[in-house]
Amino acid sequence: MAKTNFRKEFPKLVKNVNGEQFEMDAEEYEATIALWEANEIEALAKQAEAQANATARAALLSKLGITAEEAQLLLS
Amino acid sequence: MAKQTFTTGQVLTAAQLTSLQQTAMLGGAASAKTASYTLVAADAGTAISMSSASATTITVNTALFAAGDTVQITNLGAGVCTITAGTATVNTSASLALAQYESGTLDFTSTSAAIFIKGAGATASSGLTFINRTVITAAATTTIDSLFSDTYENYRLEFYCQMGTSGSIPKLNFRYGTTTHSANYNYGFEGTSISGTASNVFNGSGLTSFSLEQVSSGGFATLNLFITRPASSGFLFANGFFNTPYKGITYGGGLQIASAQAWSGIVITTSAGTLTGGVTVYGMAKS
Repeated sequence: MAKTNFRKEFPKLVKNVNGEQFEMDAEEYEATIALWEANEIEALAKQAEAQANATARAALLSKLGITAEEAQLLLS
Repeated sequence: MAKQTFTTGQVLTAAQLTSLQQTAMLGGAASAKTASYTLVAADAGTAISMSSASATTITVNTALFAAGDTVQITNLGAGVCTITAGTATVNTSASLALAQYESGTLDFTSTSAAIFIKGAGATASSGLTFINRTVITAAATTTIDSLFSDTYENYRLEFYCQMGTSGSIPKLNFRYGTTTHSANYNYGFEGTSISGTASNVFNGSGLTSFSLEQVSSGGFATLNLFITRPASSGFLFANGFFNTPYKGITYGGGLQIASAQAWSGIVITTSAGTLTGGVTVYGMAKS
């Protein structure tokens, strides 16, 4: 997942309040973009961790000389 | 006035004319009954009211009425009054039972058969009541207030969304007054794919929102929640199901907000980007 340039992609943001649409003011806009950026950093970190775990798992299976299904059988 | 046979040259009294006028205008006084009753020929063209706390019957027999005769029956009592076919035939497209304050008319089609035409009666007090529908078009946040109140304890919330940014997750928070609550969200949803080979879970406790985490790879989702909102103030509970095309998974689970508040609204946000979709909320009658 590549890092998104939210400011470029969303130069303006809309909020829906009780059925009416308004453009966010500067403070709301900055808070929302900051939240999205923080969420994306967290998601990227999770993705990197998952990829590292998958690589380590594949290396271990190769070292043991068994398949993923055989490893599941051992754990069951 | 009961149906009579008038003769040529007969002089009608003022009382007879008044009674005929009342019958013609459906304004005649009803013949009041307090116990089960069998119709007689003199009831043709009249109104009968039943007042009994216990169940009663109005029995209809043959060879008393002619085609075109009518008898109006109204139940004023708490006990159900049931129109009962004695020796005559009584058909209806509705029910032959009259609850309190319900009314109907026996319309005779022959000397031995009648149709019972029942009035609409009171509307059932149970069922769903529409509260709000909000359409969302490419919005970063959607706030909907005045959804929940003491009028109902249980609600149905339907939410559908199309995420505008790949990998984005919709988030649902509840509100009380003008405050968005961002703590103590506990939930657990589990799903199995159509192929039955995958089991997925999204859950957590003490979170800042209800995050529909499995939307990210599908981009589209529907959520149906059955919400229990305590009167005045208390924890909010919900259970329901959640669909997303990601791996064709349908999730079922529950949600709790472990904070006592007078819950009144929701706010929908995303982890990134905008959301297009809609929310519909219904209240369920208390009884």
